[in-house]
Amino acid sequence: MKKLLVLGLLCLVMVGCTKKGGQEAGVIRIGAAGQLTGPEAVFGADMLNGVTLAVDEWNAKGGVLGKKIELVPGDDQAEPRQAVAVANKFAAEGVAGVVGHFNSSCSIPASEIYHKAGIPQISHASTNPKLTDQGFDNVFRVCGRDDQQGKAAADFAVQKLKVKRVAVIHDKTTYGQGFAEEFKKNLGSGVEVLLFEGITKGDKDYSPVVTKIKSVNPDLIFFGGIYTEGGLLVKQYKAMGGTAPFIGGDGIMSEEMLKIGGPATEGTYATFGPDTKDIPSAKGFNENYRKKYGEPGVYSVYAYDAANILFQSIQAAGGTDGKKVLPVIRAIDYNGALGHIRFDARGDVKESPYVVWKVESGKFKQVK
Amino acid sequence: MFLQHLLNGITIGGSYALIALGYTLVYGVLKLINFAHGEIYMIGANLGFILISLIPAMPPFLQGNLILLLLAVVLVAAVICSLYGYYLEKICYRPLRGAPKLTPLISALGASIFLQNFVMISMGAKDRIFPQTIGMQAITMGGVSFTLLQLVIIFSSIALMALIYWFINRTRLGIAIKATSADPYMASLVGINVDTVISVTFMAGSFLAACAGVMIGLYYGSINFTLGYLGGIKAFTAAVLGGIGNVPGAMIGGFLLGVIEALGAGYFSSEYKDVYAFFILIAVLVFRPAGLLGKGANERA
Repeated sequence: MKKLLVLGLLCLVMVGCTKKGGQEAGVIRIGAAGQLTGPEAVFGADMLNGVTLAVDEWNAKGGVLGKKIELVPGDDQAEPRQAVAVANKFAAEGVAGVVGHFNSSCSIPASEIYHKAGIPQISHASTNPKLTDQGFDNVFRVCGRDDQQGKAAADFAVQKLKVKRVAVIHDKTTYGQGFAEEFKKNLGSGVEVLLFEGITKGDKDYSPVVTKIKSVNPDLIFFGGIYTEGGLLVKQYKAMGGTAPFIGGDGIMSEEMLKIGGPATEGTYATFGPDTKDIPSAKGFNENYRKKYGEPGVYSVYAYDAANILFQSIQAAGGTDGKKVLPVIRAIDYNGALGHIRFDARGDVKESPYVVWKVESGKFKQVK
Repeated sequence: MFLQHLLNGITIGGSYALIALGYTLVYGVLKLINFAHGEIYMIGANLGFILISLIPAMPPFLQGNLILLLLAVVLVAAVICSLYGYYLEKICYRPLRGAPKLTPLISALGASIFLQNFVMISMGAKDRIFPQTIGMQAITMGGVSFTLLQLVIIFSSIALMALIYWFINRTRLGIAIKATSADPYMASLVGINVDTVISVTFMAGSFLAACAGVMIGLYYGSINFTLGYLGGIKAFTAAVLGGIGNVPGAMIGGFLLGVIEALGAGYFSSEYKDVYAFFILIAVLVFRPAGLLGKGANERA
């Protein structure tokens, strides 16, 4: 009886695993890759909701080229290893395009696989310069780059906050460390970097590094990383009596940052794109998103636009063949929720205005 | 700055020690590394989260007494975790008693994966944020900053360790545990119910791990289903450092590990925080294979 049960379960598993490769007739399959589970799952859900919204809108209008779009989610758990597995799965299944991944450390190794398979990849959030500097013709992103973001953060620190002494902390990932290095590079000679140090992602106890920060007594603390560590860092620093403000990037721009860090996040700065509440073209997106999923995450609109660019390009190319779709994406002049999007030769957006946000009374608000 | 690092290390070291006690007690009686122990600690933290989330729903006259409520939370979580420990042993290890040594070890790893995924599915995969309850304001004295919560955690872990020490050395059941770990067969000959002793050992270890879990949850404020992995490995290191099977060894090992980590990360680089702990472990194992306090197998308690 027991053996039968095990056998039955195995059969079920096997049935679940066998899936036909390639595009089924009448359906266009699109991959959406990001951290759907794990500590950063909130960013993953924001992405998936944004893409789903775009898919639903297109399907309601009759789909792309008369075919329905089928969304295939891929969970990379914010881990490079998983990202490669997801990319291989997408390539084997023959998706027509991919929105994602989120983390630069995931997008970069995955992009190589998409490149070999000729699948267009549009990342909604990977900001590390290397992603597009690799020179792959299939890789695009609708967000900015960390050399731009790092400069924006550094300019703000020097010109607006007039800091003289900073401590720089990063999470040792492609994104976090890359962003931190760009920040440091752009500070100029007038600012002293007292500390440049990595922390371990997934750790909970940052008291040693916090003690160190406190002992060098900086005017500002830069953090390159994601909210899971950022929130704890701010909280533990303030709990130890630290008073200097933090500045981070898009990785900490999440409601979760405020939840993890609690009141300690008050006064924290972050660089990001402009507030979509001030962008007239994003109004429709915000309303529709809110109706279905509640308040949009900061990257939801980027995922939505990335998906729309993909669909519009496939429509214009008249097919899902990567060779035809890629030139269309490169030449696109897209009018979306974020406004005008055009790509340069590398696959970066031509205009990427980074602005600074600040936590005020428990909410991220754009510094005007 | 040295004192600050020391205090940081002692805070985290206390919880390592509490978890390490569970490894060491079980190893003492069964000569088995219970690799699912880290998950019990993780479940304790999650139970703590669930129970603390219930506080606002309590009647107001209870809410005024926050310290008492938190104590109740720790106690309830610890008691539930003892049951987890009891059933863990009953389901995963007892049927394998007498099997080759590797078999219960594999069973332990299986139990660990099962419990981790069980929590992931029931609690969700994302981080859970503990509601802010007490004492996160910094108190500074003589250049050392700490929070009230930190003091509570240090004193609670010391108190719990004193309790377990008393339990093992002064109660009938505790002495039975010592006897069983010295020689299970002989113990059964003199009328000790070895099965009961083993169950109690698992329950005591789980109780302490759950206390550590809730305290760590309160202290750091964010928990998830993967918490048990690193926590478990570090505590296991602490137990081996002090001499596995040796109760005071686990306590000293835990504090030592916490302090080494804090000092290493503080004075050298926090990038290699986990490296210092394991480096010391290797060094101790090379020069004292039985751990700092470990002597012969017969003297283990």
